[in-house]
Amino acid sequence: MIKITNLEKIYRTEEVETVALNKLSMQVAEGEFVAVMGPSGCGKSTLLNILGLLDDPDGGSFLFNGIEVSRFNERKRADLRKRNIGFVFQSFNLIDELTVFENVELPLIYLGVSTSERKSRVEAVLDKMQIMHRRNHYPQQLSGGQQQRVAVARAVVNKPKLILADEPTGNLDSSNGNEVMQLLTDLNEQGTTIVMVTHSEHDARYSHRIIRMLDGQTVLENLMV
Amino acid sequence: MFRNYLKTAWRYLLKSKLHSILNIAGLATGMAVALLAGLWVWDELSYNSNFKHQSHLAQVMLNQTYKGETYTGETIAMPLGDALRTQYSGDFKHVSLGSWNNELIVAAGDVKLPSRGMWVQHEFPEMFTLNMVKGRRDVLKDPSFILLSQSLAKALFGKADPINKVVRIDNRLNLSVGGIYEDLPHNSSFYDVKLLLPWGNNENWLGKQTAWSNHCGVLFVQLNEGADIDKTTAKIKNVPTPHIKDFKEEIMLHPFSKLHLYTEFKNGKAVGGRIQLVHMVGVIGFFVLFLACINFMNLSTAKSGKRAKEVGVRKTVGSLRRQLIGQFLGESIFMATLAFLLSIILVQLSLPFFNDLSDKQMAIPWSWPLFWLLAAGLTLITGIVSGSYPAFYLSAFDPIKVLKGVFKAGPMASLPRKVLVVLQFTVSISLIIGTIIVFRQIQYAKSRPAGFARNGLITVPLTDDLKKHFDAIRNDLLQTGAVENMAGSSQPASHFSNNNSIDWKGKDPGLVVYYRNVNVTHDFGKTIGWQIKEGRDFSKSFPSDSGSVILNETGAKMTGLKNPVGELIKFEGKTYQIIGIVKDMLTQSPYEPMEPSIFICGGWMGIITMRIKPTIPVSDALNRIESVFKKYNQGDPLEFKFVDDEYAKKYSNEVRIGNLAAFFAILAIFISCLGLFGLASFIAEQRTKEIGIRKVLGASVFNLWKMQSKEFVGLVMTACLVAVPLAWYFLNDWLQNYQYRTSISWWIFAVTVSGVLGITLLTVSFQAIKASIANPVNSLKTE
Repeated sequence: MIKITNLEKIYRTEEVETVALNKLSMQVAEGEFVAVMGPSGCGKSTLLNILGLLDDPDGGSFLFNGIEVSRFNERKRADLRKRNIGFVFQSFNLIDELTVFENVELPLIYLGVSTSERKSRVEAVLDKMQIMHRRNHYPQQLSGGQQQRVAVARAVVNKPKLILADEPTGNLDSSNGNEVMQLLTDLNEQGTTIVMVTHSEHDARYSHRIIRMLDGQTVLENLMV
Repeated sequence: MFRNYLKTAWRYLLKSKLHSILNIAGLATGMAVALLAGLWVWDELSYNSNFKHQSHLAQVMLNQTYKGETYTGETIAMPLGDALRTQYSGDFKHVSLGSWNNELIVAAGDVKLPSRGMWVQHEFPEMFTLNMVKGRRDVLKDPSFILLSQSLAKALFGKADPINKVVRIDNRLNLSVGGIYEDLPHNSSFYDVKLLLPWGNNENWLGKQTAWSNHCGVLFVQLNEGADIDKTTAKIKNVPTPHIKDFKEEIMLHPFSKLHLYTEFKNGKAVGGRIQLVHMVGVIGFFVLFLACINFMNLSTAKSGKRAKEVGVRKTVGSLRRQLIGQFLGESIFMATLAFLLSIILVQLSLPFFNDLSDKQMAIPWSWPLFWLLAAGLTLITGIVSGSYPAFYLSAFDPIKVLKGVFKAGPMASLPRKVLVVLQFTVSISLIIGTIIVFRQIQYAKSRPAGFARNGLITVPLTDDLKKHFDAIRNDLLQTGAVENMAGSSQPASHFSNNNSIDWKGKDPGLVVYYRNVNVTHDFGKTIGWQIKEGRDFSKSFPSDSGSVILNETGAKMTGLKNPVGELIKFEGKTYQIIGIVKDMLTQSPYEPMEPSIFICGGWMGIITMRIKPTIPVSDALNRIESVFKKYNQGDPLEFKFVDDEYAKKYSNEVRIGNLAAFFAILAIFISCLGLFGLASFIAEQRTKEIGIRKVLGASVFNLWKMQSKEFVGLVMTACLVAVPLAWYFLNDWLQNYQYRTSISWWIFAVTVSGVLGITLLTVSFQAIKASIANPVNSLKTE
C-alpha cells in the first residue's frame, strides 16, 4: 500500500538546518499494523505527516497504492486524504464547539455523503465504539478515554484504508490506553492498515512490525510474532 | 455542510459572548451610520424627483458678465418669459414665470393664517405635475382662481369642501379656490409653497413689468421630449443680450435634477454646492462602516489561536482551503446579517434625532424593494470586507503545527492588526479635528462685530392696513412700556436683499457697484442701534431728510469722495443728499466682507422693527405688543420674528455640517474604542501567564498597567501623527471657501490628541488593571 524510497525532509531556519528524514525508505503492506518508534526528534512525526499527505517531502518518492503522490497539489492531496486516510492524535483534536455526533460526522460532510446516510454511518460507528449514549455531549464533557474513542470513531467513519495514529495513548491512563489499542487492533483485524507512532513498547507490541528510527533513518525492524 | 458551518459559527458566537457582543455591536453601529448616511444621501440625490417630468424641467438662470467676472443668479426679467414662449415654442413644452415664494396672510371666513405662496403662470401646475386632490391643474388660466395645498385647505376650511369658496389674500384680494393639490414632499424645491396665485391677476405687479433691466422674478421651463438641455441653452443664451447695455447678460438652463445640489457657479457653469456635502457624508458613512469592519478583522484574527485547532482538524479530514475560506466568510456574513437586523432597530430609534439634526423628514422605506436589495448588498459587502482578511489568515494555518499545539503566531502576525488600529484612529481623530474646526468657524463668524445690537430686536410685517395707522401704532407701542423704539423699513435688519447701483459726482462711468438699498423711517437707526461715524442721523426736525440718505462706511469708501457728507447721489433717477455715514453693519453673509449699503429716508416700507426693553420679560413684552396690533388689525395673525434668530439662520448650513460631523465623529470614536476594548481584553487574556510570572517576580499593578497600555498608546500616537497633517490639509482647504475665516490653532490638535489618548487609556486600562490585580496563583495554575 505504501512504498517510500529515499524520502527526504529538511527543516530550515535562518541559522539551523535540521534533517528530519534522511533518505528514508520503507514499505507498508495492505492490512499491516506497523508501529514506528524512536527517540524524540528522530523524524517519526514528520514521516507520519508525509504519509498523511499533510506535509511535502523535499526529495524521494512516495507511492500510495502504486500512485506517486509526493508532488500532489493541495486539492488532490485533500481528496486522497479524505477518501483513504483516518487520523488519530495524542491530543484527540476534537472540535470543542461540535458534539460527539457532529465531530464524527465531519469527514462524511467533506465527502459529500447525504444526511440520512451520514446519520446511519455515524450511529453505527458510535455504537461500535460504545459511545452512542454520549452522542449529544461536547468533548469537554467526556473523559480522556471517551474523547479518544470519539477521535477513533471519526478516523474510521469514512472507512479509510489507512489509519495513522500519532501516540494515540499518550494522554490516557493505562486502562483507557489498552481500550484504545484494542480498538485499533480490532480495526486492523477487519482489514484496515495502521501506522502508529509511539514511545510505548507496550503499545508497540499490539503491532505486526516495529520500525525503529534514528536521525531520520530506519535503523531496525522487528517482526512481532 | 452549510448547516455544519452555521452550527459552528453560532456556538462560537455563544461561547465567546464578549467578543461576539463587541463584534456585532460595532458592526451594527457602523451599519447604522452607513444606513443613516445612505438615507441622507438618497434624500439629497432624490431631491425634486417627485416631479414626473424632472429630466425635462429646468430653471432659467442669468449669467451677467462685467469686466471678465461672471455672476450667476436666478432672478430674471419678466419679458424673457414671453420671448422664450413665442420665439422658441418648438423647444419648450411649457414655460412659466413665477414670483418669489412670498409670505402672505390667507383668510377664509374668520380663519386667518400666515402662509407662503407664489404667483405663477397657468402652466406651472401641469409642468410640475401637481397631484390634484380636487379641481383641475389648469384653473389658474382664470385670474380669479387660486390653488391651495391640501394642508392649507384643511387648516382654512376643516372638513368642508373648499372648491369655489373665497379666500382673501393680505386683506386686499379675494380669489376663489379652484383646486387642491397634495402637499409637495420635504425634499422638493417647492416644499413650502402652500398656495399658487394666478399670474394674470391685476394684483400681480410682476405681470406688468416689461423692462429687460428689471430682474425681479423666476422662470421655469419644460423642454420638449428629446430636446437636449445644453443644445437648447446654446440656442437661447443670447435672448436678453441685445436688451442690456452696461454689461453682458446671457441665460442658461439649469436642470431641475441639479437645482438643489449645484448652487455655486463659476464662469457661468455649475461647479458645486451641496453636492460637496453629499460627497462628504457619503465618504464619512463609508469610513465609519469600514472602521467597524476593521474591528471585526482585528478581533477575529486576534482570537485566531482559538480557531486554529478547528482549522487543523477540518483540513486533516479533507477540507480544502477554499472551503475554509467559504466557511469563515459565511460566518462573517452571518454576523453582518445579525448586525444589520440590530442596525435597522438602531436606525429606527435614532431617525427622529438624526432628522432633527439634519433638518430632514426621512423614514426607513420599509415597502421599497430597492431599499432591501441595497440593504442586502450592504450586509453582504460588510460581511465579505470584514471577513476576508480573517478568512484568508485563518485558512492558511498549517494543520501539523496547530494540531501538535506548537502553533504560535510569528512576530509579524500582529502587524496588520496594528496597521488597522492606526487607520481606525486616523479616521476618528481627523473627524474630531474636523468637527472642532467647523464649530470654531461658526463661532468665529458669530463673534464678528455686528455694528448694531441684534438682541431684543423683533420684526412684524407692515401690511397695508397697518401703514394707515403707522404713527398711532408707534405711539401706542411706546406707551406699553415694553418697547424702547420702533421704526419702519423696506427690509429687516437680519438681511438686506435689494441690490442696486447708484451714481455720484465724479464716478467712473465704467464702474458698476451695487449697493444694498434700504428704505427706512427716521427712527430706524435709533431702533436698531446703529453708530453714526460722520454727519448725523435722520431726524424729524429736518423736514428735508425725506430726500436724504445715509451710507455705510464701505459704501462711503466706495464713492472715493473725500468728504461724502453733504454730497449728492443719484438713485433710480432721483437725487439725494448724503447726511451721514454709519458704521458698517453685518447684515449679509457672516463670512463675506462688508457690502456697501445706502439707507434712504422714506419710500415703500414692508417691515416694522421694534426694540423691546431688556428689563421686561419677552413673553410679557410680546403680549403687550400684540394687544396694540390687534387694535389696528383685528384678526390678522401676528408673525413675530427675532432679528438675532433670523440672522442665525445664515449659519445653519455650517451648523448642519458641524452637527453631522460631530455625530459621525462620536460614533467613529465609539466604534474604534469598542475595537480597542476587545483587543485589549484579548491581549490581557493572552498574557495572563506572563502577567502572573511578572507579578510573582515583584511587578506592581502600575508596572503591569504601563506594560499593557504602552502598545496601544504607541498605536494611537502613530495615528495622531498621520491624522494631524491630513486634517490640517483638508480643513485648511475647506476654510478657503470663506473670506472671513478662523485660523487653525495648534491647541485644537493638542486637545484632540490628549482627549483621544485619555479615551484610549480609559478603554485599555479597564482590561489591563483587571488582569494586573488578578491573583497570580490562579493565572499560573490555569496554564
